Amino acid sequence: MNRAGALAPDILIVDDDEGHAILARENLEAAAVSNPIRHFRDGQAVLDFLLAGGPGPHAAKAGAYLMLLDIRMPRVDGVEVLRRLKADPSLRNLAVIVLTTADDLREVERCQELGCDVYLRKPIDFGKFAEAARRLGLFMTLLLAQPSNES
Amino acid sequence: MPATLRELRAIKAALDVHSIVAMTDTSGRITDVNDKFCSISKYSRGELIGQDHRIINSGYHPKAFFRDMWDTIGSGRTWRGEIRNRAKDGSFYWVDTTIFPCMGRSGRPAQYVAIRTDITERKVDAAQLKRYAADLAEKNKELEAIVNTLSHDLRSPLINVQGFGNQLARACERIRAAFASAGTGAVPASEVRRPLEVDIPQALNFINAGVNKMDSLLTGLLRFSRLGREALTIERLDMNALFAEAFSAMKFQLDAAGANVRVGLLPDGRGDRVQTSQVLSNLIDNAIKYRHPDRALCIKVEGRVESGQAVYSVADNGIGIAPEHQPKAFEIFHRLNPDGPAGEGLGLTIARRVLERQKGRIWVESSGQGGSTFYLSIPSAEPLPAATP
Repeated sequence: MNRAGALAPDILIVDDDEGHAILARENLEAAAVSNPIRHFRDGQAVLDFLLAGGPGPHAAKAGAYLMLLDIRMPRVDGVEVLRRLKADPSLRNLAVIVLTTADDLREVERCQELGCDVYLRKPIDFGKFAEAARRLGLFMTLLLAQPSNES
Repeated sequence: MPATLRELRAIKAALDVHSIVAMTDTSGRITDVNDKFCSISKYSRGELIGQDHRIINSGYHPKAFFRDMWDTIGSGRTWRGEIRNRAKDGSFYWVDTTIFPCMGRSGRPAQYVAIRTDITERKVDAAQLKRYAADLAEKNKELEAIVNTLSHDLRSPLINVQGFGNQLARACERIRAAFASAGTGAVPASEVRRPLEVDIPQALNFINAGVNKMDSLLTGLLRFSRLGREALTIERLDMNALFAEAFSAMKFQLDAAGANVRVGLLPDGRGDRVQTSQVLSNLIDNAIKYRHPDRALCIKVEGRVESGQAVYSVADNGIGIAPEHQPKAFEIFHRLNPDGPAGEGLGLTIARRVLERQKGRIWVESSGQGGSTFYLSIPSAEPLPAATP
């Protein structure tokens, strides 16, 4: 079982494209996922959060997280984030869903080499997200709010 | 009998016109050569007769090559192969060679007849073809990388256009529903405020940004592709003058940045004036854009000649480029700092292309903190000093 399995995880969206991050958040919210969501604009920002670097807010010690990780980002990209997570014993098992587009085949291969094989094609579709979360053993811990009366 | 002899004479005459012919004794000494042999090897007949065949050995083939040849003809079989020889003046030529052993009464070869055809041109063409193929493979790889990057970079804004388009549709649906449930009465403001004030403007904002982004990517791609087709006019370039022009064209921005510019004595180069000066402007523009906020901009240009190439360095004291990001600096549409000053991520890609087309190169050195030094090289205007023999 994933170490995040016991607790409802915070969802960490790591994407340099602000629009993509807003859409991801809205799609999850529209599907009544009410886990807390945080957005990071690049790989370095989420690493600072998890590894308690930099001045910003830091991860809680016993916190559970599910990371939605974009691959192509400037500076520290998604592959580099994965590499750093896998190299850190305390973060090795963090649940990660890699966000891809149809054009990232080579990058997907590199992620697979790093031991990550759960992917979501952008734009995020809730059904597929739930499926990916289930593969990570996280489905039961998604906090599904009361369906809103709009949908 | 006389008829046969006449016929043989005719065949020999034809052979001498068509082929390079030599006779060799069993120890490898030349006993006779025809005119074509002399003209291609640039030795006179007198210089060749009595000499070992090694006189034209170019040192290109391994020993085993000739050992195999001697084993073959020594045992009475015909040998055929392609040999690179060296002429008297040191130039090389390739010959397609057939060596035929003439058997003596003892049943062993008594002498050898070597008939050769000049295939130098074919060999040169083949080598050229190989280079073209390698270049083409390289270009294909480059093109594939560009298509890959471009399709990704186009898809990013497209995802926003699709996603926020859906958001627009949902907002419309909400407003329509509000109207429907209001019937003939007033539509409550609370029902339409959020879609009208938040959702729709946000969606339009991202859709516009996405469309503009795609437009600028396609414009950039077209610019990049046109560049490869433009004819080059290679001429002697006074690089001091070219740098001076580029700096003066940007005087306003340089003054605004309080820049201190120093240009050393630069060697002349050879290249296309317009395109090379574009590269210079781009490097200066980058130095201004990526200057360090805490120190006055300083740009230093120096030059030297290194094995036939004129190398120019443009050093700044700006924010620098971390070593791990340096290889990406020249990638198409790659921007090291997307939050930084405006740019389409094409400047250095174009610079590299321009320089490669005129047999030059561009590269960067930067320790990260203390600024960057861009190097560009183009063929030197001065011919190489004659190589020592």
